[in-house]
Amino acid sequence: MSQPSAHDVIVIGGGVTGAGIARDLSLRGLSVLILEKGDWGGGTSGSSSWMIHGGPRYLEFDWDTTRLSTKDAGHIVTIARNIVYRIVFLIPVLPHDKNNIERMETAMEVYDRFQPLKKSHPHVRLTADEARQVEPGLSPDMVGAVTMEEWGVDPHRLVFANVQDAIAHGARALNHTRVVELLKHEGAVIGVRYRTADGVTTEARARVVVNAAGPWVPEVAQLAGMNVELRPAKGIHIVYPHRISNFAISAESIDGRDLLMVSHAGFTLLGTTDDDFYGDLDSMDVLPDEVEYLLQAFERVFPSIRSYRPVRTTTGVRPTLFKWRRYEDELSRRYEIFDHAAGGVEGFVTIAGGKLSMYRLMAEETSDAVCRKLGHQAACTTATTPLPGSERDMEPAEEIARRCGIPALAVVKLQGRHGSRAESVLDDARCGRVVCRCEPLTEAELAYAARSEQVHSLPDAFRRVGLAAGPCAGGACVLRAAEVIGRELGWSASQRFDAAREFVRGSWLGRAPVLPHTGWAEEEMVQGAMRGLMG
Amino acid sequence: MGRTDSLAKLALAYGVHLTRRRVSRPRAQVQRLLDMYRPDGLEPLTAAEQERHPQLVGCINCGLCAFAVSRSGKTRPPDVASAYLRLYARLGDASSDLDGDGASGDPDWESAAAACPVGVPLPEVAAMVRRLAAG
Repeated sequence: MSQPSAHDVIVIGGGVTGAGIARDLSLRGLSVLILEKGDWGGGTSGSSSWMIHGGPRYLEFDWDTTRLSTKDAGHIVTIARNIVYRIVFLIPVLPHDKNNIERMETAMEVYDRFQPLKKSHPHVRLTADEARQVEPGLSPDMVGAVTMEEWGVDPHRLVFANVQDAIAHGARALNHTRVVELLKHEGAVIGVRYRTADGVTTEARARVVVNAAGPWVPEVAQLAGMNVELRPAKGIHIVYPHRISNFAISAESIDGRDLLMVSHAGFTLLGTTDDDFYGDLDSMDVLPDEVEYLLQAFERVFPSIRSYRPVRTTTGVRPTLFKWRRYEDELSRRYEIFDHAAGGVEGFVTIAGGKLSMYRLMAEETSDAVCRKLGHQAACTTATTPLPGSERDMEPAEEIARRCGIPALAVVKLQGRHGSRAESVLDDARCGRVVCRCEPLTEAELAYAARSEQVHSLPDAFRRVGLAAGPCAGGACVLRAAEVIGRELGWSASQRFDAAREFVRGSWLGRAPVLPHTGWAEEEMVQGAMRGLMG
Repeated sequence: MGRTDSLAKLALAYGVHLTRRRVSRPRAQVQRLLDMYRPDGLEPLTAAEQERHPQLVGCINCGLCAFAVSRSGKTRPPDVASAYLRLYARLGDASSDLDGDGASGDPDWESAAAACPVGVPLPEVAAMVRRLAAG
């Protein structure tokens, strides 16, 4: 075992909340170590709907939550301005929906009062004909529609931008590193024992340890002998490798829940389910029934949905706070900070619950609690300090493309991930060759990710730079990508081949549940292009 | 208390909304919507494009069409169908990729479509991408 390191704070969990806490505390001048057992944003954050929203559903329960959520969404939109984009929802109203068009417009009129807090436009009401002019695929049964604006963001990039800024301010950040034990002394937590990806076990000491492990919060709390109860809820999305519409569309499910079909940069997410989950958090399957539940709802408002070819599914678990009796969908997305000193364990704080849209506020309040414990006086600056890549305006993509000799579309995608730092990614790397053509992703960006963005595997590259996120799902690029990453990380030829095969098998697991809705012949065609990787 | 208060405020807003609807005449708002989001590239598809959309976006990037025809501007035919078509909100920022280089001319999209094993109507894809890129 190597020598223990010493820090002010150790954060366990590299989702958006943990990354936000690490950044916040680092900006306040504390020394921080953040540990993530998988990859940054690889759990709940990455399997979200990719939205920074204001929470119109809370209007029925508590307007203050809507105000708080909208205000913090406004902060995130400001500090991450180059990696967020507008999402405009068309909310079609059908004859037997739970809310008629007048009630729906009333809700949007109320929500309009909060929209300026997150720099969003007010709603628009459309007749059925107008709505079909905007999206011709909507059902002819529709009686009208209203619009609603939210913001989209790539959660993997948002998480990593927070990690990157924490590192820039002195933090140490390790992914693929699992905490195996909490170190205790006289009842207080004084550090952690962790195991890195290469199997080395190390200790780190800290004055405070923060448990920000999302749905794994109870498991980590147990290491300190503490009980934190959650009501985990599973959610799945169907992923289409293209935009089905330029507008997002909402639909009502058979049990009256609101579902969303959201077009992001170059793909569409359709979701989500919300079911109590009792299984293994590290091994979740998407069930055909869950897929059917989503498609059934969307077929009602968007009849051609089954004609589209999905490319994969995603699944994750929300770390919802425990509440007995309520239906899953009615559970609050509120969060709670536990100082376990009250339970007799000093030096240990847990943050549980919450959602992506309020991550910054959750991080601020948790950091405040940590600073109080440490007697450290420094104000939070995360509401105004830009995240990496959002410090200045971006240059037009075509100018960078001309200078660097790569397709402008590759620059558009590069800017979507790195914002105003896009050109420095190209400066720092060697080659503008396009590796993944569907995305498109350059060799330069992939090599940069392996060298400077803690990419240790092909799935890490999928999350960090969108490798194989397109319609071929890796068939055309995964071997080339393994070569590029392998060269940076010193993999042997067989390690490169094994990495590619492992990646293709992993993607197959996410694709299988949606195959009944696509052509098996097409799937065989794609697998044929895998050059034996599936054999 | 929070719930009761919220529902009461929504009920009041509903009453105000219904009254306003009775006294004021609704106006067409679709143009306002399209103008509002044009800078974000959020343009609607045409009805004809939407009707064929599942086929238009059906490319699996097998690359067979690239063997059948030449380049299109600075891109290859499979890139147009698998990458450019995916990104139509920001396609305008990459329109220069689609400009012809003057040497090879426009590819024979019909031949490219004939080589496609999943039946993507590539001439229509090319037309749609050019329309969306032009803004």
